[in-house]
Amino acid sequence: MSTPSPKEMRQLLNSRKIERVVVLGANGTMGYGSAALFTQAVPEVTFLARTKAKAEAGLAAAIKQVRSPTVADRSKTGSYDDDLASACADADLIFEALTEDFDLKKDIFDKVEAARRDDSIVATVTSGLSINQLCEGRSDSFKKNFLGLHFFNPPNVIVGTELIAGNDTDPAVVDFIDAFSQIRLGREMIRTSDTPAFAGNRVGFKVMNEVAQLTEEIGVLLTDKILGPYTGRAMTPLATVDLVGWDIHRAIVDNVYDNTSDEAHETNKLPGFMATLMEKGVLGNKSGGGFFKKDGKTRLVLDPKTGNYTPEADINLPDLGYIDRVAALHRDGRYVEGMEVFLNAEGEYAAAARKVIAGYIAYAFARVGEVTETIDGIDRIMGMGFNVAPPSVLVDTIGGQGTIDMIGEAGLEVPAQLTAALASGERLFNHRRINIGKFFVAE
Amino acid sequence: MAAGSEVYILGGYQTDFARNWTKENKHFSALMRESVEGALEATQIAPEEVESAHVGNFAAELYCMQGHLGAFFTEVNPAFSGLPTSRHEAACASGSIALLAASAEIEAGRYDLQAVVGIEQMKTVDSGKGGTYLGTAAWFEEEAEGIDAPFPKLFGRLGDEYDKRYGLKDEHLAEISKINYANAKLNPNAQTRTWYMNKDHALCRTDDNPAIGGRIRISDCSQVTDGAVTLFLASREYAEKWAKGTGKKLSEIPRMKGWGHNTARLKFEDKVAESANAEYVLPHVRSTVTNAMKRAGIADVNGIDGIETHDCFTTSEYMAIDHFGITAPGESWKAVEEGWLEIDGKHPINPSGGLIGAGHPVGATGCRQVLDATLQVTGEAGAYQVEGAKNFQTLNIGGSGTTSCSFIVGVD
Repeated sequence: MSTPSPKEMRQLLNSRKIERVVVLGANGTMGYGSAALFTQAVPEVTFLARTKAKAEAGLAAAIKQVRSPTVADRSKTGSYDDDLASACADADLIFEALTEDFDLKKDIFDKVEAARRDDSIVATVTSGLSINQLCEGRSDSFKKNFLGLHFFNPPNVIVGTELIAGNDTDPAVVDFIDAFSQIRLGREMIRTSDTPAFAGNRVGFKVMNEVAQLTEEIGVLLTDKILGPYTGRAMTPLATVDLVGWDIHRAIVDNVYDNTSDEAHETNKLPGFMATLMEKGVLGNKSGGGFFKKDGKTRLVLDPKTGNYTPEADINLPDLGYIDRVAALHRDGRYVEGMEVFLNAEGEYAAAARKVIAGYIAYAFARVGEVTETIDGIDRIMGMGFNVAPPSVLVDTIGGQGTIDMIGEAGLEVPAQLTAALASGERLFNHRRINIGKFFVAE
Repeated sequence: MAAGSEVYILGGYQTDFARNWTKENKHFSALMRESVEGALEATQIAPEEVESAHVGNFAAELYCMQGHLGAFFTEVNPAFSGLPTSRHEAACASGSIALLAASAEIEAGRYDLQAVVGIEQMKTVDSGKGGTYLGTAAWFEEEAEGIDAPFPKLFGRLGDEYDKRYGLKDEHLAEISKINYANAKLNPNAQTRTWYMNKDHALCRTDDNPAIGGRIRISDCSQVTDGAVTLFLASREYAEKWAKGTGKKLSEIPRMKGWGHNTARLKFEDKVAESANAEYVLPHVRSTVTNAMKRAGIADVNGIDGIETHDCFTTSEYMAIDHFGITAPGESWKAVEEGWLEIDGKHPINPSGGLIGAGHPVGATGCRQVLDATLQVTGEAGAYQVEGAKNFQTLNIGGSGTTSCSFIVGVD
């Protein structure tokens, strides 16, 4: 698949028109966030939900999210019962953003199929359900025009977007949505296979889950500290799980655990303490706390063994001076030297951190061919969907031999895809205009 | 005007203008380092080859409590220790002044390879304090002291002056804003590439698009930005050697074909008084543009394939349109209405997104414009490429139309 030139992209964009978009499930976070995004690019967006009141709440949330009352000028609202048929009949793009429930989505697609024009595009924002299964048994025209368009939350901030074609999706439709999303919606598009959790969540949640597992051994605060921003991420991993929500985290890792059998299978197994605490209502920030919670200005930290919380200040951490040394080098923009200090740091905790980072790199490269054609897709979704250093950026910064040694130290196998990538001796992350320094925060 | 010997631009590197270096907990030195190392890598130049460096910066003393920025260049690489370096300041035109100084030294035969760094870190302070700091680009005591957001007000007055002389409609300013934001979505290093904007929003007159000063709303403004851009300028002799080493032809390497540089009186009211009976509202800006064209041997704007102009506010781009000669004086609105300014239009302006869309790290902007011009004429601008561009012109302005600099970057 060669990259089209800007001119070809604009020609592709002009090959068909998207003037009316219908968003199904427009009261949900992904629904209204995506709907707001569409209002920037098309004249009419219809927010649909179970009731008109819910759709209106979605519109209000969209306006608030992008802070522009003009969203309303381009928007209509309605309910499935009263408005779905007429709205879908007129729509050029029907965008499904219902809860991640296969049967629920299937039901709404029945209604969509009965109402849509043969040439309208139907996209789903699903983050894990199979695109092929979702359109199984549908008409040829539905299958031809059906694809996954996976925005990340919140879509107005995170540009990384996965594009997933089904077996029967018309390649011209895929190319058009790719161009439309890039040029009109400002998306960074990554094409992935129709595999569980696609590319970004497959790799990204594996890492976060492995970090969550590590808390059972060394505690939450220490785990989050040793895998903090200095390792190449804007937000610490456990704070990220709290932000995403434990329920979402669980849905993704369970899906991967149940439907794949790769070399790192057990790292996708949800830690038992998370399942136990979820039964008690712990869901992360949305339930008032997860690994961390706030008590006024005090940050409290979860003890995974007991489920109790301790003030951060009462927890003694071992000497982690190497992190300060890495951060000081990052602060001066000396990322290669910073990662060298990390690589050579002594002690079990530095080794534990390296094991997770090595696992991330090895897992990502081992997925090449399975979830994306090349490492580039995984690199871009990790960088622009998860805001973490792409695996290739880590390899470039740590060095090829350093990476191989680190994977060996972690007791993992060096994937053939990585060995092959390193054979050329060239830098792996080949987007020369993208700053790699932004991934290494000096903390 | 003496024609100087040739100055070649070998390439450069821009930091991502969406980054907040304070949030990344990084020092000014990291900003400098990333842009210089990025430019070395982009051009495949060995650090030992660099002979001199010029740093353009407006106000690091205020924003970062740091002066002596030329010396910071030597921190980037051990090979730079001992190099002659200097720092240049002319408010928002600082980057262009650094480029002028570097190119003059090449023309004079002093050095064969120069690094030029434009740099500014601005997100160290809140917008109120930052607005006051920017006020020092005007005559502070008379035009900025004790005034909230002095520059939006000054450029609001530029709009008022157009309105008085020729008439001016908000919808044309809104369209300018819209185009810059839309182009920014195509630029991987533009600050606003994820921001919500359309023409309706730019015309929105509620608190979601508040008035900042006079007719200037938030959507009319450029951004507060952290960023740095490094370029390598070379003599013909060095460019020939470099071309051979990188497998290029000399004719493919962009040259500084022309330049313009004028400084008007500081106070906005004095500028306007001077031009009361003139064709152009800011005649010295017009001279800068036409001097660059004359030096390049280009008759008029029809010989220019695209423009990177100083849209610190929509009114400054509106002014640039007629000052470049795209329309007759006072008729900039025609170019807006005809769609000439868009990337595939007759006279593309700011395919990068400009200062409104790409961002405006004050001292870096002149260098960013020249880097974008370079990418355009070498066909490397990616999604915001103007097809087949051979000659690109920049216009970089310090103060309220006070210091103007323009470069024409082109290939044969």
